[in-house]
Amino acid sequence: MSDQPYVSKIDRRTALAWVGVVGAATAVGGVVVYGPKMGLERSTRGYGTDPKLTKPEKAPWSRIMIQGQLQTAAILADYILPATSTAPSASALGVPDFIDEWVSAPYPQQVKDRPIIMNGLNALGARVLNASADQRKAALSALPTSADPHTQAFWKKFRRLTIGAYYTTEAGFKDIGYIGNVPRTRDPGPSPEVKAVLETQFKKLGL
Amino acid sequence: MASDAYDVIIVGSGAGGGMSAYHLTKSGLKVLMLEAGRDYDPRVETPMFNINAEAPLRGVGTPDKPFGFYDATVDGGWEVPNEPYTVAEGSEPFIWWRPRMLGGRTNHWGRIALRFGPLDFRPKSRDGLGHDWPITYDDLAPWYDKTEKLIGVSGAAPARGLLNTPDSPPGCLMEAAPPRAFEVFYERAFRAMGIPVIPMHGAVVTGQMEGRNTCLFATPCGRGCAIGANFQSTTVLLPPAMATGNLKIRTNALVYQVDLDKSGKATGVSFVDRKTGEHHSATAKSVVLAAGSGETARILLNSKSSKFPDGLCNTHGMVGRYLMDSVGLTVSGQFPALQGLPPTNDDGQGTQHTYVPWWGYEKQKELGFPRGYHIEIGGGRRMPSMGMAGLLGDDHASVGDDLRAKLRDRYGSTIDFDGRGEMIPNDDCYCELDPTAKDKWGVPVLRFHWKWGESETNQAAHMVKTFLEVIDRLGGKPQGDVQLDGRKAISKGGEMIHEIGTARMGHDDNDSVVNQYGQTWAVPNLFVMDGAVMVSSPDKNPTLSILALAWRSADNLATLAKQGAI
Repeated sequence: MSDQPYVSKIDRRTALAWVGVVGAATAVGGVVVYGPKMGLERSTRGYGTDPKLTKPEKAPWSRIMIQGQLQTAAILADYILPATSTAPSASALGVPDFIDEWVSAPYPQQVKDRPIIMNGLNALGARVLNASADQRKAALSALPTSADPHTQAFWKKFRRLTIGAYYTTEAGFKDIGYIGNVPRTRDPGPSPEVKAVLETQFKKLGL
Repeated sequence: MASDAYDVIIVGSGAGGGMSAYHLTKSGLKVLMLEAGRDYDPRVETPMFNINAEAPLRGVGTPDKPFGFYDATVDGGWEVPNEPYTVAEGSEPFIWWRPRMLGGRTNHWGRIALRFGPLDFRPKSRDGLGHDWPITYDDLAPWYDKTEKLIGVSGAAPARGLLNTPDSPPGCLMEAAPPRAFEVFYERAFRAMGIPVIPMHGAVVTGQMEGRNTCLFATPCGRGCAIGANFQSTTVLLPPAMATGNLKIRTNALVYQVDLDKSGKATGVSFVDRKTGEHHSATAKSVVLAAGSGETARILLNSKSSKFPDGLCNTHGMVGRYLMDSVGLTVSGQFPALQGLPPTNDDGQGTQHTYVPWWGYEKQKELGFPRGYHIEIGGGRRMPSMGMAGLLGDDHASVGDDLRAKLRDRYGSTIDFDGRGEMIPNDDCYCELDPTAKDKWGVPVLRFHWKWGESETNQAAHMVKTFLEVIDRLGGKPQGDVQLDGRKAISKGGEMIHEIGTARMGHDDNDSVVNQYGQTWAVPNLFVMDGAVMVSSPDKNPTLSILALAWRSADNLATLAKQGAI
């Protein structure tokens, strides 16, 4: 997990549009860093029953998370899925932006999740922002075994969202071994290698 | 729209409406098609190959798009803006899926294209329950042949002669896609139980077919298909109908009434333009209703006159009656034997490559329920979705390398078993006009009544028991809360989106609304050509039969028109 400020991975055009609305973000070196007042003018509009599907537009609702919350989300997401030698970290894939999009959304499930995530991030933020590396590590590793029901609900929800957000990206596909979504002239069926593994399993199962 | 400019008005553009338009225009008749939804072109609107990361909320379902962001459905779902429906007090739940787009539900359907079998047309003769159809399998078989050849159906296999599970004659089906790893896997358990697993019939072009593209074995069919490799009315039926020069399509035209002249003949229909709110009427020599079982019944019930004070063709109170849906439920399992398999591309042909047809025809008495179900089975290494953490089961702790390794190991190791079963029509399941509720344009809406019978809940319990046995034989663990009580496990009415039977066909007008060709008994130039005409709801998904029946009925209509009989 990085001590560097979390830099949003949202595309520049959208971010600049937000700057136009809110006027509180600062552009640094071609990317936009969230200012503390981002997203105060909320829109509760969903994407409607007939959104454009081939080139989806960014979710139309404005975002509610502030920099400290995004930073906390980045720290926690990277605790769950840090970078490896072959795969990027969760924050590098913009998972905190996704969490922001999720908790800001106007739909029932997301509205239900909002206080769980926001309260959890605020509580965790007090312990991981401006904390020593040891303090931060202790705060994060205490989450999965916390006896507090609110903390537990936050941890489970945040982890589920992080895993979902991570593995639905191309980098996530690569990490988990999804090799589909490519046009083929035919479906050859499973390889001899896969069939051999299955035969071994059938023997074990008595099938 | 000048009087008599059209021979036929078709209401609806889905399976029934699309097929009617295809045949009638090719027969030289001038057709006006009225579709309640907007124009829609899968060739340019389908999100082929888009990944969830590009979609809002990673593509999860929302009230705006209940089956996920990329689902083809436009302006629809369980609720349609401005077009409510109600469920009667004391009724079991009923939900109603409607799209508002050209091609209707053919754009997102599951592409499972199974023929009804010989027993399915004689249910009452077989076990005394429900009602027999006025036609037999042999009457419809040639139309199944033609339909399969026209729309493109995969699943060819050597004839098996399984009871009530028709083999298509040679030349009707294209090659079957090979079973994927999870399909090879589950077949062993069924084999050990003496239950056959056979190729699915999927409305997907898997071979060479003139004028059609072959499946790319990637990207889900439910999004629609930009290359027209699967069957949608919008890619397969409407373009050739348009090419005849005999078809005009008007979209956003929500039909609410069939208009009659003094002699009781249909003169056309009245509709409201959903965008402008203006009311219009259109005239033709005959009218075909193919708006979907619910909307078709609603149009008939709203067409009141002094001759038909309770709604058109409803003299005997038959319209809206015998509403049916499929019995449905899902049990999922996780299988250690599938963990750690080498990566495979399991995208496949979109619909399942194999399935389990009903196997208990000769054991119904001992089973304790009268009809059967087939099993649709999903699994494999599908494109990751927001549900990925579900692979971890009760593990809420692991992070980092440990988490990555577990997900990689368990990815593709879950299988979903979906039962789809036959429902016996009953007196508690029907729709009628709500006495007070109206849509945005002041037209009365439907009120549904629903109650599953014991035949269905016992069948649902048997599905659960069977799926648990299969999961156990494969060394797996059922996922989540498994409900053993059939009454609790069973789907909601309408949830399988197979609602049919509100204007059923029969031998005479005492107990049916239309004859075997969809011609209404009450109005000779008014026809019904959607699922409303069905007499029973065999476990086989209804779309292929809606297509075959519509083609047969349209052919009869064309003959009547040539004879000057309408």
